[in-house]
Amino acid sequence: MSVLGTLVRKEFRQLRRDPALLRLVLILPVMQLLVMSYALNNDLRHLRVSVLDDDRTPLSRRLVEAFPHGVTFTPGPGAEGEAELGRLLREGRCDIAVHIPAGFARDVSDGRSPAVGLAVDGSNSSIAGRGAGYAEALLTREAARLATENGRPGGTPVKPAVRFYHNPELESRLYMVPGIIVILVTIISALVTGLAVVREKELGTLEQIRVTPVTPLQMIAGKTIPFALIALVDLILATLFAVAWFHVPMAGSPLVLLLGVFLYLVVTLGLGLLASAVSDTQQQAVFTVWFFLVFAIMLSGFFFPVQNMPPWARALTWLNPMRFFMAIVRGVLLRGAGVGDLAREFSMLALMGVAAFGGAVALFRRASD
Amino acid sequence: MSATSSTSTSVDGLAVHVRGLTRRFGDFTAVDGLDLDVREGEIFGFLGANGAGKTTAIRMLCGLLQPSSGSAMVAGVEVGRHARELKRRIGYMSQRFSLYDDLTVDENVEFFGGIYGLEGAPLRERSEELLPLLGLADRRRTQAGALPLGYKQRLALGCSLLHRPRVLFLDEPTGGVDPVARRRFWDLIYAQAAAGTTVFVTTHYMDEAEYCGRVSIMVQGKLVALDTPGGLKALTGGRDMQDVFLRLVEA
Repeated sequence: MSVLGTLVRKEFRQLRRDPALLRLVLILPVMQLLVMSYALNNDLRHLRVSVLDDDRTPLSRRLVEAFPHGVTFTPGPGAEGEAELGRLLREGRCDIAVHIPAGFARDVSDGRSPAVGLAVDGSNSSIAGRGAGYAEALLTREAARLATENGRPGGTPVKPAVRFYHNPELESRLYMVPGIIVILVTIISALVTGLAVVREKELGTLEQIRVTPVTPLQMIAGKTIPFALIALVDLILATLFAVAWFHVPMAGSPLVLLLGVFLYLVVTLGLGLLASAVSDTQQQAVFTVWFFLVFAIMLSGFFFPVQNMPPWARALTWLNPMRFFMAIVRGVLLRGAGVGDLAREFSMLALMGVAAFGGAVALFRRASD
Repeated sequence: MSATSSTSTSVDGLAVHVRGLTRRFGDFTAVDGLDLDVREGEIFGFLGANGAGKTTAIRMLCGLLQPSSGSAMVAGVEVGRHARELKRRIGYMSQRFSLYDDLTVDENVEFFGGIYGLEGAPLRERSEELLPLLGLADRRRTQAGALPLGYKQRLALGCSLLHRPRVLFLDEPTGGVDPVARRRFWDLIYAQAAAGTTVFVTTHYMDEAEYCGRVSIMVQGKLVALDTPGGLKALTGGRDMQDVFLRLVEA
């Protein structure tokens, strides 16, 4: 047996003796590959189209029906007025808003070019550009066909007025920068907290503290408050930088963002603590958190829209706190969303915070028996 | 200190009072029906081979582990029922140097003092009193990680004494240091016992066993002997504690 062979064999033996690590390096990558290959794609799928038909004529209804209910477009919630249509777009409840103004049918039959409004959520630039192009082509073609049927072949065709909301230039930077902020906050809070706890486990200081009157709750609070503050400072710095340097708009209220990050930190700190509770070494803790992070990022809508995922993957994203915090950060920065617009996101984070932090406290209690 | 009715039923003059203390892990019995009494101010040696159950027993007495059955009173508190009160009254120093290497001597003292609610003037007074005793008075700004092992152990001892515990548990406190440093450490232990602190100590150094008032020897979860070092030598016919230990453990 060569020296190199001896060294390699010893490494494999040690790996085999560490089942937690073995699981992490063998099983989890396969799981990630399986889930992500099927879950993630950047195709145009399930764009939710909300239509406001102020014309209410057979002709306008035919234009509405021009959007096929298929893979690319699905019907979004209906709107009663322009204000509501705008709100649907702002709250992220539809991706494309179509407004057919009163007089559409008359314009078509008179050979005038009817002013159809097409507004697109530009916060995800890659989808918005292609989605808008697709929708625009569809409307133009359908309106031209309606004009021909009404005896105005080749009459002035419809040219929908396309507007992009939230990111009018369709810069991907505006979409990516808030996402990167979310990832930074997650890494700082979950990974660093988890490591700090496991480090004390390795050093034996955790055991030393357990023979003192310090309660598990005090112990956890003492461990998480400093990292919560650091993550908060990171968020503020990164947001200032994003606004000042990358010209990301701060469309909404910073207070809403702070409430969101507070709820989110409870979740991620809780998850960091959970990872530390199931890890005996810093190596295991890093792998555990890393595994969570890759899943969380991929299923957060950071690169790939959640609506593009198959139903089972979309269901999985409901367990993903990053998905909801991503929606809050993008919503506040790009769309100016308020607490009411993000009620679902806030409640999900609150629920997850209670679960993750409660679970961590329970585990620490049990470990101190 | 709060003294509720359930925590003041100590047996007079006894710092540790253990009856039938047992801990099972699955079908393995780590500690099996332990009975022992330790008087206040006594230095009690808790000996046994590795894996004999000493650490499990100490972890139960410190409130770190629930007993499967049996009872134990430590410093007047029933173990397993009033863990927090128990922890206020005891000190614990383990074989591993479990202080913060990246904090200075003073910062470690401040941390462990603060945990017991000791701060401000009382903490300053207490560390002014302890640090010279420990030979650490001129190292207060040194990071603990930079101290020689003997100094680290004395610092760990000091941190476990800050809150004036009634019972001090030492789990192999002097592992790995030279005889001079060990002697110095034991001088400190004697001083503490003379001041009324009960010392419950495990060790693998048989010369240290000679320093104890009484010594117990544990084999496979059970106590096989408990007497003064002189009494144990007479009982087994051993020349010294090393001999006594080998005869009892290998019997």
